[in-house]
Amino acid sequence: MRVVFTLNGRVVEVDVEPNEVLLDTLRLRLGIKSVKRGCERGECGACTVLVSNVPVVSCLLLTVQINGSNIVTVEGLQSDDLFMELASEFSKSFAVQCGYCSPAMALTSYAFIKKALENSLKPSREDIAKAIEGNLCRCGTYPRVLMAIEKVLERRTQVR
Amino acid sequence: MVEDPEIIIRRWFVAESFIAVGKSLERVDSIEKVLGRARFVEDFFEEGFLVARLALARIPHARIRKISYDHILKNPKVHQVLTYRDIPGENQVGYAIPDQPLLAERKVRYYGEPVAVVVGRDPDTVNSAVEEVVLDVDPLPALYNSLEAMERQDILVHEALGTNIAFKTRVRKGDVDSGFSKADVVVENTYRTHHQEHAYLEPEAALAIPDLENRITVIATIQYPHLGQKIVAKVLGIPSSYVKIVAPYIGGGFGGKDDEGPLVAARAALAAYHLRRPVLLYYTREDSMQIHPKREATVIRYKSGATQDGKLTAIEVTIVHDTGAYANRGPFILWRATMHSSGPYYVPNAKIDGYCVYTNKVPQGSFRGFGNPSVQFAAEAQMDQLAEKLGFDPIDLRLINMLRPSSETITGQMLMSSVGIYDALKKLASESNWRIKRRMYEESRAGRFRRGIGVAVGWHGNSTSRAVPDWSNSYIHISRDGSVSVYTGIVEIGQGSPSSSHRQLVAEVLGCPFEKVNIVFGTTDAPDTGATHASRGTSVGAIGILVAAGKIRSRLESFLAEYFNVQKEEIKMSSGEVVVGDKVKMKWEELIALAYSKGVDLSATGYFFLPKGVFNDEVGQGFAYPAFSFIAVVAEVEVDTFTGKVRVLEVHPALAVGKVINPEAVKTQVEGAIVQGLGYTLMEKLVISEDGRIINDNLTDYVIPTSHETPVIREAIFVEDLWEYGPFGAKGVGEMAFIPMPAAIANALSHALGIRVTELPLTLDKVYSLTRDSSR
Ligand code: FES
Ligand code: FES
Repeated sequence: MRVVFTLNGRVVEVDVEPNEVLLDTLRLRLGIKSVKRGCERGECGACTVLVSNVPVVSCLLLTVQINGSNIVTVEGLQSDDLFMELASEFSKSFAVQCGYCSPAMALTSYAFIKKALENSLKPSREDIAKAIEGNLCRCGTYPRVLMAIEKVLERRTQVR
Repeated sequence: MVEDPEIIIRRWFVAESFIAVGKSLERVDSIEKVLGRARFVEDFFEEGFLVARLALARIPHARIRKISYDHILKNPKVHQVLTYRDIPGENQVGYAIPDQPLLAERKVRYYGEPVAVVVGRDPDTVNSAVEEVVLDVDPLPALYNSLEAMERQDILVHEALGTNIAFKTRVRKGDVDSGFSKADVVVENTYRTHHQEHAYLEPEAALAIPDLENRITVIATIQYPHLGQKIVAKVLGIPSSYVKIVAPYIGGGFGGKDDEGPLVAARAALAAYHLRRPVLLYYTREDSMQIHPKREATVIRYKSGATQDGKLTAIEVTIVHDTGAYANRGPFILWRATMHSSGPYYVPNAKIDGYCVYTNKVPQGSFRGFGNPSVQFAAEAQMDQLAEKLGFDPIDLRLINMLRPSSETITGQMLMSSVGIYDALKKLASESNWRIKRRMYEESRAGRFRRGIGVAVGWHGNSTSRAVPDWSNSYIHISRDGSVSVYTGIVEIGQGSPSSSHRQLVAEVLGCPFEKVNIVFGTTDAPDTGATHASRGTSVGAIGILVAAGKIRSRLESFLAEYFNVQKEEIKMSSGEVVVGDKVKMKWEELIALAYSKGVDLSATGYFFLPKGVFNDEVGQGFAYPAFSFIAVVAEVEVDTFTGKVRVLEVHPALAVGKVINPEAVKTQVEGAIVQGLGYTLMEKLVISEDGRIINDNLTDYVIPTSHETPVIREAIFVEDLWEYGPFGAKGVGEMAFIPMPAAIANALSHALGIRVTELPLTLDKVYSLTRDSSR
C-alpha cells in the first residue's frame, strides 16, 4: 500500500505491507536507525518518534495509519538549536550510558521542554519524571536525564 | 628504557599529581549516541541480508525423537532450517562444565531451549516459520525445585552425571562447634532470593558475514569477543584465526550478554556458514527472556554467632543455587558466593557448603554482582539481627567485625592493603545522619506510612575467581600525525571504559592531548583482554593499556634524553606539551615526527599476567582474589501499611574502590546499579508456570523501574584505597552498588515494620502480609 508522509521535513512515499509497523518502515526501508527495537509492544519507548511534535511509540503504529502525518526523529533535529543544546546537556550530565534508549529519551525530553517553553510552564521534578516515564532505561540514567532537562529549562527560561 | 610491566604499573601507582586521571571528563560517546549515530548490531543490517530467528522448545523436559521442518521449506521465502545435525564442529558450548549444546540434541532440558535456526528472506517469514518447526518428543517429568532436585535420583536433568548436583563448594576454617560454643547469641535463618531478568533494552542479535576462504566476521551483542571467537570456531570446526568478532556499541549487558553473546554469535555464524550470505539473527524480547540465563535463585541457610562484645565467633552457611537446565557459569557464581558469604568481616570459624543444582528451568547466569547480592542479603540480615539481640547499633556491630588492612578473610587470605571499607562506613554513618534518623523512625513507628533506615555493606573480589589465571593485554600504535590507536578487547556496554577512562589513562601516561587518543574496542583484532565482566573494564582490563602506554612513554623519554643529552628527570610531557630541560619545548606532534625520523619504535603491546596464589578447594582456603572492592549503602524506605507498597526515598553510597579515574562516570555506574538493585528487590519477579514456562516474558508483565521509582541518590563517598596492580590503583566498580541493595532495602523495611524480612522480592502482596504479621 502506498503511504505518503513527511519525515524530518521531507516528503517520503513508501509502498508497505498493510500490517507493517512504522518502526520497521523507518529502520528497514528508510534507513532511520536512531529508532530502536526494544520490545515491539509499546512498553519500552526505545522506538519513540514525534508525530506532530507528540512522542509516540512507532512499534504500535501501522505505517498506513500515518499517511499524511509529520514524523520527526533525531536524524531530523541535528540542526535544531534546542535539540542540540539538550544533546550536549545529556553529555555534560552523563545522562548516557549504553545509549540504546538515548535517542528516544532525548526526543521525549525535547518534546516536553518545547511544550513547557511554549506554554511558559514551570514543571516540577515530578512533572519531568512523569514526562519520561514511558522511556525505560535499564542502565538507570534517570537522575541524570532529569538533571539535563532541568538545566536546559532553567537556561532557556532565564534567557527570556 | 623500561619495558617491565611491574615497574611501569608501580611508576603510575605512586604518581601524585594528575592531568586527566581523577577528572570527570565528558564521555566521548554520549553525543553520537544521543544523535542516533552510534551503531548497534542491528543497525548494520542492509537490504538483501537474510534474517533468522530461533525455534524454541515448548516443553521443559523431554527426549527428542525427531525435529521436522520439511513442510516449512516449501515456502520459497524460507531459505534454511538448521538443527544440531548441521553443526560441522562440536555442539558443545558449556562454559564451566561441558553440558550444554548450542542447539538441543537428544534432549530438551528447559522450556525455551533453542532447537533450530530458521533463516528466511524477511522477518514476517521467519516469525511464522519458527512456530511451525515440529518437535516430536517423549516427555519426561520435570524438576523445578532445587531442594527437591538435590535429593532426587529418579529424575535427572543430565543422566550421565548420576545426580542433579552440578558442582559443590566448601570452606572449612577453624572449628565452628567451638566457635558457636563461645557465642553469647546465635541467629539462624533461611533466606530465599529469586531470578532476575537482565532486560537490557537491546535484545540479543548477531550479524554473521561470510568472508573469503571460509573466514567469517560476526558483529554481535557480546561482552567478550575472544570467547565468541573460540565458541564460533569450535562450533564450525574452523581455526579461531578464521573468525573475527566485533562488538559495536552494546545496548546494555549486565552479564547477560557475557553468557548469551557467544551463543548468539555461533548460531548466526552457523547460518551464514551454510548459506554463504550475511545473516542477521535476532531475538525478540520474548525470545530473549525465554532463552538467556538469569540471576541466581537461591536458598541460603545461615547461622551466625557472636559474643556479648559484638565479635563474630562462627558462621555456618549452606547455599543452594538453582542453576536451571545447564551449569553455564553457575559453578563460578556459586564459588564467588561461597567465598564472599561472610561479608567483609573477620570470622574466625566458618563452615560453608555450596550446591549448584540442575532443574528444568532457564539456566542461571551472570548478572551484575555474580552471586554476591543474594549472599550479602543473607549475611547482612544476620548482622542486623545479631545487633538487635546484642543491643548494638547495626553500624557499630559491623565496624567491630570489619576487615581492615592485615585482616584475614574466611578463606584465610591476608589482605595487606587496599581495604578501605572501615573508613567508608564510618564516613557514611556520619554523613547520612544515620543515628538520628534511625532513632527518629523508631520512635514514630505508627500510622499508615512508616519509615525505616537500613544499612548494608558488600565486597567483591576483583578479577576472575579462584587461582584461575587472569591477565590484561592491549596494543598501542602511534601514527605519524601523533594520533594514538589503542586496541583493546574490552567492550563498551554502557560503563564507559573505552569511551572515557581508557582515554584518560592513555592521555595521562603518554602526556598526549586527550583528543588524540582513539580507542579501538570490542574486537578480536585487539589482543585478548579478557571479558568485559566482573567489574574489570577499567581495573584489570585497563592494566594492559597502562603497560603499553608506559612502554612507549619510556621509549620517548629515553630517546629525548639521549638526543638532547639531558637526564630523563628533566623531561616533562603533559597535555601535548613536551619540555626537555630548560631549552627545548615542542608539541606532541613534533615529538612524534622527530621520533619517527629517528627510528623510535612507537608500537607496543601491554601484556600483564596477574600474580595469583594457591587455593585449596578441599577446604576452601587460600588466595581467592588479588584485591577486593568494597561498598556500604544506607537506604531509607517508606512503607504504606494499607497497600504494602514500599518506596525507597533515599540511598547514600560509600565506596572503597581504589583510585577513581572518572568520578562522575563512576557515580553513574553507582546510580544505575542502585536503580537496578531497587527493581530487583521490590518489583522484578519472573513467574514460571506449572510447565516450566516463563509467563511474563515481556516488559509489560515483567516490570522494571522507571523514572518514577528512582530514589534520591546522595553524592557517593569515595575512600581511595589504592590497589597495587590496578591502573593508578583503580579497582572494579561496575557491579558494586547492586550488591548491598537487596540487603539495605530489606533491612530498612525490617526496621520500618519491626519485623524480619528473609525473602525477596518485596512485592506488594508480600509486604502487605508482612505488615499484617507486624501488627499482630
Ligand atoms: S519497541 Fe516500541 S515501545 Fe518498545
Ligand atoms: S543508557 Fe542504556 S538503556 Fe538507557
